[in-house]
Amino acid sequence: MFPILLSIFFPIAAGVFLLIRYRTPLSGEKRNTDRKALLLLTGCFLVITAAFAVAALLTGTGKDGFILFNLTKTLPVYFRIDSVGTLFSLLAVIVLPFAGFFSFEYMKHEERESRYYGFYLLAFGVLNGLCFAGNLITFYLFFELLTLSSMPLVMHSGSKEAVMAGLKYLFYSLCGAYAALFGIYFLYRNCDSLTFTAGGALRASAVAEHGGFLLVTAFVMLLGFGVKAGMFPMHAWLPTAHPVAPAPASAVLSSVIVKAGVLATIRVLGMFGTNFLRGTWVQTAWIILTLITVFMGSLLAYREPVLKKRLAYSTVSQLSYILFGLAVMNETSRTGALCHVLAHGFVKAALFLCAGAIIYKTGKTRVGEMRGIGKEMPLTLWCWTIASLGLIGIPPTGGFVSKWYLALGSLKSGLPVFDVLGPVILLLSALLTAGYLLPLTIYGFFPGADYDYGSLQKKEPCKLMIVPILILTILSVLIGLFPDIIASTIDMAITGR
Amino acid sequence: MIILVILIPFITGILVPAIPFRKRWQKEVFLETTVVLNSILVWYLLLHHSDSTFLLAHFTGNLNISFRVDGMSMVFAGLVSALWPFATLYAFEYMTKEKHENVFFLFYTLTYGVTLGIALAANLLTMYFFYELLTLVTVPLVMHTLTREAVLASRKYLYYSLGGAAFAFLGLIMVIVYGSTTDFIFGGVLDPAKTAGKTNVLLLIYVMAFMGFGVKAAVCPFNSWLPQAGVAPTPVTALLHAVAVVKSGAFAIIRLTYYSFGTDFLKGTWAQDVVMAVVMFTIVYGCSRAVKETHLKRRLAYSTISNLSYILFGAVIMTPLGLVGALTHLVFHAVMKICSFFCAGAVMHQTDRHYIHELNGLGYKMPRVFGIFTISALALMGVPGLAGFISKWNLACAAVESGSPLAWGGIACLLVSALLTAIYMLTIVVRAFFPGKDFDYSTVLDIRDPNWKMLLPLFVFTIFIILFGVYSQPIVDFFMSVAAGAV
Repeated sequence: MFPILLSIFFPIAAGVFLLIRYRTPLSGEKRNTDRKALLLLTGCFLVITAAFAVAALLTGTGKDGFILFNLTKTLPVYFRIDSVGTLFSLLAVIVLPFAGFFSFEYMKHEERESRYYGFYLLAFGVLNGLCFAGNLITFYLFFELLTLSSMPLVMHSGSKEAVMAGLKYLFYSLCGAYAALFGIYFLYRNCDSLTFTAGGALRASAVAEHGGFLLVTAFVMLLGFGVKAGMFPMHAWLPTAHPVAPAPASAVLSSVIVKAGVLATIRVLGMFGTNFLRGTWVQTAWIILTLITVFMGSLLAYREPVLKKRLAYSTVSQLSYILFGLAVMNETSRTGALCHVLAHGFVKAALFLCAGAIIYKTGKTRVGEMRGIGKEMPLTLWCWTIASLGLIGIPPTGGFVSKWYLALGSLKSGLPVFDVLGPVILLLSALLTAGYLLPLTIYGFFPGADYDYGSLQKKEPCKLMIVPILILTILSVLIGLFPDIIASTIDMAITGR
Repeated sequence: MIILVILIPFITGILVPAIPFRKRWQKEVFLETTVVLNSILVWYLLLHHSDSTFLLAHFTGNLNISFRVDGMSMVFAGLVSALWPFATLYAFEYMTKEKHENVFFLFYTLTYGVTLGIALAANLLTMYFFYELLTLVTVPLVMHTLTREAVLASRKYLYYSLGGAAFAFLGLIMVIVYGSTTDFIFGGVLDPAKTAGKTNVLLLIYVMAFMGFGVKAAVCPFNSWLPQAGVAPTPVTALLHAVAVVKSGAFAIIRLTYYSFGTDFLKGTWAQDVVMAVVMFTIVYGCSRAVKETHLKRRLAYSTISNLSYILFGAVIMTPLGLVGALTHLVFHAVMKICSFFCAGAVMHQTDRHYIHELNGLGYKMPRVFGIFTISALALMGVPGLAGFISKWNLACAAVESGSPLAWGGIACLLVSALLTAIYMLTIVVRAFFPGKDFDYSTVLDIRDPNWKMLLPLFVFTIFIILFGVYSQPIVDFFMSVAAGAV
């Protein structure tokens, strides 16, 4: 019980502490010493939080669940660790500290760094809460808090563009959350309890009485939570909000925070039960939306010249791979989806950090300007290349495993049209993925004969930046080399143990 | 004793201009002590209430002025008496910059007594009497600054309220003629023998009386007086136009619906559909206007319009759960809105800025005020863990439970309104904390948080917002027993 609570409330308290303690911007002569103290504190807080979360996962104390307190008699704040939660928590625990260390260097020249770290820690705690939530109310609580605590990260630079992007993020997310809340009100009426149970919690009598309306409710909830996961038609916030955030924050947003939408979707499927939804118009409509998003996201990324924006569109597309796997609703595709959560998480974090390193060192934001970048920052670009291969789905990487399962699941599903159409679109999108990621590698390493080698400088970033990138890249390959470990965890997740 | 709590504010109010105080603090101490004492007295009365009715005057037949404490009066009187001392404390500081203080405090304190009169009234006639009186004693408060704008606003307020009361009067007559008594009895007092064959007329009168009382509760299309009345000093806007006056309207509607006409008579009729549709429209309308509004206090006033209709929405679901939702929001919204209004007032008092675009960058200069404003904004949006979530949860669950598709549409209205609330509240917060990259901080150099008289009420209300959000069981249980007619 205590590791769980600590992993949630310690970072929240720490974040609030940083916000209050360093409320005035660092300046003057003492700026450097003050900054060191701030970084040391933040670093400790990040490591301690991660340690608490790992402890919570390893000790298994949360398996049985516990009620923290009751908002009202029927609304308990309830925590329980199940295997799906474990999987998502794993991603957060790895990505957040590394991206945090990366920001120590990246944020050097930014104003009001403490505000950034404060909300970063808040978001960390909230993410842990989201992963460990045991019922829909608790989940919804942290879901809203996640939006609110990550919004200041988007707005951090304070430029008009960033503020508008932050507001757009906020309103899209809230719109989705409220659509989901609409569903929660009705679920509350038609379920015995809102605790997550495998295989559906709807009362049989309720299904018989107004099953048609419950399907509408399910669809509204899937759409609502889908906003966070950047699903068409509510994806527009993502390519606006992610690129304007500082690079490490975009890494976290793109690799972890949007996954909250995926986790939410899994929870919703769990509440309604796949048996209730399989073969209904909800499934068909949902699959169509995800496939549109997969293709559209890739296509938009392919056309996008600004590097970070390109990565954001790529996130839109990749997240719908996961949603597609869930929408097919069989075990194989679900394995693929959960695998892709990890694979995409590590890869996208690594890619965003690479992009951040390039921007930090050279100030270049467009892909077209980055000719010869591989000569200046070889290690960074190697990481970029390897991570890219993971996203495209080339064999030894994690992306290959997940896409394999996704395609297999879809072919086995026996759905009309979509069993074949699905894999075809996934493949097309993979082709486009190669098309939008690899040019950087190609032009970076092979700038052409007319490239001016004379003015070339070594610009490799410092260890604080390159080590997180390296580790994340290696992880993205490792999960492809040893898929058994991941697959067995995921199997547990599917069987609901 | 029940008459005492109404009389003390009257006497105090009249004494304020009459006693020649040497120093300002003496007046403050005198006022604050009597108000606090009166509040303690009210709470004592509520906690040790008996079922007996106190008869003050008897006219003819069954017409009399009398008082009684029942569940509804406990909710409203308890709420008003809890907020008044804090608002008075706040007013001391706020009024240092305004003129005619004595007149202000005279009417301000009078209003306390009148509101308690509405809350404690035992029958429709008594409530109606105090309801009219409330209009009269609050008009001078709206007019306070005596600018042309203020005079116009108060005139509008007067006409609207009196006009509304005239419609409400029709309802009163109907209850006198067709009811067995005018006393408030849970479940209604209409006599089936007398009403036979007159159902439609009575329903029409109900709708008219609803709209009549609805004027004070700012139901669309009778809402335009409320934003205009925002010219009054902030303690008035915060306490009267977010709690006491407007909630008297909501309170009167609940009395009329549950205690006079009775839900058995109204439920499932066209009258219910009509009033529910009006209320749903007002919810969305108020919010949309708030988004458009650029004046801080007026924006909050539009937000009040929308939130008052949340309460009415709960009331017109006409089930016990609906009433629970209505009462929860009646109390919780009072705390949230008075909190945000006081923040707005603190900003106006400290900086003399009234428009939202002038608030850029103030967040770092007044961190406490804007921190609290953020919390109240989140609560109004309905973020879980704060008060607003619980009241919306109760309202929505009641609507789901009622099984009427119109009420389900109402849930959608609530959620649309929640989104709009986020837009009009959080844009203010974002402005205050993210003023833009090239913002010139020298324009806000001398601005700081107000002193303790303003901050204390804010802190107390914030604590209650959080407390209600995480632990509302006892108070919701109490509402349950009120809604079951047990208290």
